[in-house]
Amino acid sequence: MGGMDPGPVLYTIRIDGHLGATVLSAFPALVPRRRGGHTVLTGLLDRSALYGVLAEIDALGLNLLEVRQHTPRRESPPPGDSHSP
Amino acid sequence: MTVAPATLRLIDRGDLLAALDRAAARKVTIISAPAGSGKTSLIRAWADHPGGPHRLAVVPVQRDQHDAQLFWLALLDAVRQATGAAGDAEPAAATPEFNARAMADRVLSALADARGGLTLVIEDLHELASPEALAQLTRLLTNLPPGVHAIVSTRHDLRLRLHRLRLAGELSEIRASDLRFSARETRELLDATGIALSEAGAALLHQRTEGWAAGLRLAVISLAGHPDPERFVAEFSGSERTVAEYLLAEMLDRQRGDVQRLLLRTCLLDRVNGELADLLTGRPGSERILLDLEDANAFVVSLDPERTWFRYHHLFADLLRLELRRRMPKQVPELHRRAAGWFIEYGEMVDAIRHTQAAGDWPGAAQLLADQSFSLTLDGQTQTLQALVRAFPPGADHPELALVRAMGDLGQGHLDEAAAHLAVAETYAETALPDRRRRLRVAIAALKLSLARRRGHLAGVIEQVKFLDSPLTGQSDEDIALGSDLRAVALLNLGTAEAWSALPDAERHLREGAVLAREIGRPYLEVSCLAQLGLASKVRPFATTQRRNREAIALADRHGWGAEPVIAPALNSLAGALMFTGDFDEADRWLQRAERAVQTDTGPDITLLMHMAGGMLHACRGRHQQAVEEFSAAEQLRSQLEGPPATAIQVTGWLLAAQARLGRPGEARALLAALDDERAGAGEIRNALAVICLAEDDPAGALGAVQDVLDGTVPVIGYVTVVEAQLLAGLAHRALGDQRAAGQAAERALALAEPDRLVLPFAMTGSRELLEALPRHETAHAALRTEILDIIHGSPAASDRSPPPPAEELSPGELKVLRYLPTNLSRFEIASELSLSRNTVSTHIKSIYAKLGVSDRSSAVRRARGLGLLSAGRTR
Repeated sequence: MGGMDPGPVLYTIRIDGHLGATVLSAFPALVPRRRGGHTVLTGLLDRSALYGVLAEIDALGLNLLEVRQHTPRRESPPPGDSHSP
Repeated sequence: MTVAPATLRLIDRGDLLAALDRAAARKVTIISAPAGSGKTSLIRAWADHPGGPHRLAVVPVQRDQHDAQLFWLALLDAVRQATGAAGDAEPAAATPEFNARAMADRVLSALADARGGLTLVIEDLHELASPEALAQLTRLLTNLPPGVHAIVSTRHDLRLRLHRLRLAGELSEIRASDLRFSARETRELLDATGIALSEAGAALLHQRTEGWAAGLRLAVISLAGHPDPERFVAEFSGSERTVAEYLLAEMLDRQRGDVQRLLLRTCLLDRVNGELADLLTGRPGSERILLDLEDANAFVVSLDPERTWFRYHHLFADLLRLELRRRMPKQVPELHRRAAGWFIEYGEMVDAIRHTQAAGDWPGAAQLLADQSFSLTLDGQTQTLQALVRAFPPGADHPELALVRAMGDLGQGHLDEAAAHLAVAETYAETALPDRRRRLRVAIAALKLSLARRRGHLAGVIEQVKFLDSPLTGQSDEDIALGSDLRAVALLNLGTAEAWSALPDAERHLREGAVLAREIGRPYLEVSCLAQLGLASKVRPFATTQRRNREAIALADRHGWGAEPVIAPALNSLAGALMFTGDFDEADRWLQRAERAVQTDTGPDITLLMHMAGGMLHACRGRHQQAVEEFSAAEQLRSQLEGPPATAIQVTGWLLAAQARLGRPGEARALLAALDDERAGAGEIRNALAVICLAEDDPAGALGAVQDVLDGTVPVIGYVTVVEAQLLAGLAHRALGDQRAAGQAAERALALAEPDRLVLPFAMTGSRELLEALPRHETAHAALRTEILDIIHGSPAASDRSPPPPAEELSPGELKVLRYLPTNLSRFEIASELSLSRNTVSTHIKSIYAKLGVSDRSSAVRRARGLGLLSAGRTR
């Protein structure tokens, strides 16, 4: 990654433990799912939103396990975006 | 109450304290671990334990600290408090380097004065969002004086480049794994708080929290007095919810109703005291609860030794805020509103406005902001003001904000936008209730004055300050205060406008403004007045102008405004005054600092002055192309001003001269032809014409051009123009082959330049050969002639006219130190610049004095300059 922010991309963020209603309210833009003993948060985030979420995870003392980006397929770039990587 | 009993203190984590003891024996200790790891608790416990540091300076970095200035001021304050030097008037001289560097130097000096050692603690460094501050902090940490240690806590690793310390074995680190409670410590914690839990239960708790300090502390608060601790631990370890959330909910549920209520209702505040908490909870007794919570080590810390203000641990506050919004979302605006009311009552207006905004009361916030904007501007809080304006939702515009926007525009030099916003604000003010109307009118009057001044519109300013002649009247305290504010603003603008037009009362008005500003406790306004004094000084003596500007800059530095537009006029004026005496390198550095200070201010007035100074510097260094560009830019800005500065004619003259020297006399002639008669008749333009003639190989024409200047029959700005005319005459005589007349003209120029040691016209006119041709025994100003030649040369090319070298050559180390003597850096600052100890620098200086046969710094500089030791070619 580098250069211009390509715009919102789908991310999944895995956190240790089950997040309750209180902590989940800190991530209104993400959809939570439980996976075993973990919570997986999914949502479209641009780069600054992603760092905002990571800062929130840091601030709330949560245990971050994994961040994964799901790159959009090359053959179907979002309309109007000619600068996608 | 059910918060843990006051006996619950941190257990004595002897191993950890010993680890920090060992770590702190090195120069720098970094504690890097996530939220809730117990960084702050460790530092506090270590500070209190027997054998801990006897003197501590603690600086918590505020949340989202973007303002590096505030960080450095807090650091300096903490060090001075700890060393008992708080009351000292700081005589540290301003330096031309960027302010953060100067501030770091100042902290280093303060640390060096801490006899008997000191431990500097910087908490939450991750909140510092300024790369420049981090860079300077790195320098500070790698140059700590003997006996000084530093402990830095942060949530995550930072870009501090401390490899030098690491290699020297002077860096130690404590990380999350070191901070974890061991199983044994968990057991001790439970025992110390009187919680009866089985071995298995304790082990389970330790395992589930992974020894995480925040988790354990939350658990202990819940467990204290729990009817069935075993069941609590079993349920907790059976839950898969995250540790902090589970335990916070449990802990809250187990608190008495009033404690719960207090925690939830006050968590929105960055800081809270008993009275404010009473107001938000609607019940008395909050102070006792806050004290008990702190005693119980329950995530509440007092901010002052008297224990009146408290804050919550960040992690704890963040969780509580989420919980508050979930449990009672409808209460949130009301809580903000109440907090705002309290802050208004106590005059904490920025907090008040923030909470009113957070309450969603946008009209109320706009009104408050408009009412306070004048006062906040006078205190230099323009950036805060603009941040508050930006916090309003886009779209819904409030007419009140036009006034605030006008202030922002003015501060950034957007004069047309300021005028437009001001017109809206005026219309709005007339619709306000009488009480507010008066206040708004005062702010508008002050703004109009500043706008007229920044346009160089002297008549407009004078028209609007007529009220200064009438004595202050007013019924209420507020009227009087407003009256004094307006008076001081009027004096500032009047004096500045007069200085701009070179009128004699400028200095008196600016001084009166500064005195009044000081009396009414407006240091920012005082600095504003003093920053213009340089411009108001008569051209000579330059030393006086330099001193005044340095004083103004030092005062601005002390308040943390050293890199802001307010001080730019002084930085610019100092650079100019240094150019007149030939200190081009130092002038260049000050000019660069001025450049940085005006980054956010693009007003035509200060920009014109910046281009003028830039052009002067280039012209003196023979870079005619760049000089033409700078002077042209300055010329073009005249059209944006109602009245150009009195020195504008000088810019025009120097522009023409630079064009001619660049080999474009034709262009210069075209410009010259476009000037009206009055301007064309000025001495500065006659001089320019002479330069054009010289470029056209018409020395006789040049002599004719400067004749009226030499006879004193045309107006000139100052004697500098006459010196310049003498030199141009000398060059013309030389071109005509009349060496004798050339020498006489050069001698007359030297005689005029001598009292002030004026160098600039010699450099600008390229009079090197003219001076060199003047035999040493034929001038009464041999020393000045040598000094000027040295400056023009950069390094002495012709060794025959150098005085004999000193008996003993200076060593490379001494030469390095020598290079810093013409600056006003202290010995300590020089040491820090060169990464040497202060003793080494002192030894070098002593030896330099001995070798040069002088006894003080200024004569050393003079002697070294005479010997050509200060020029770049010899010392690199």
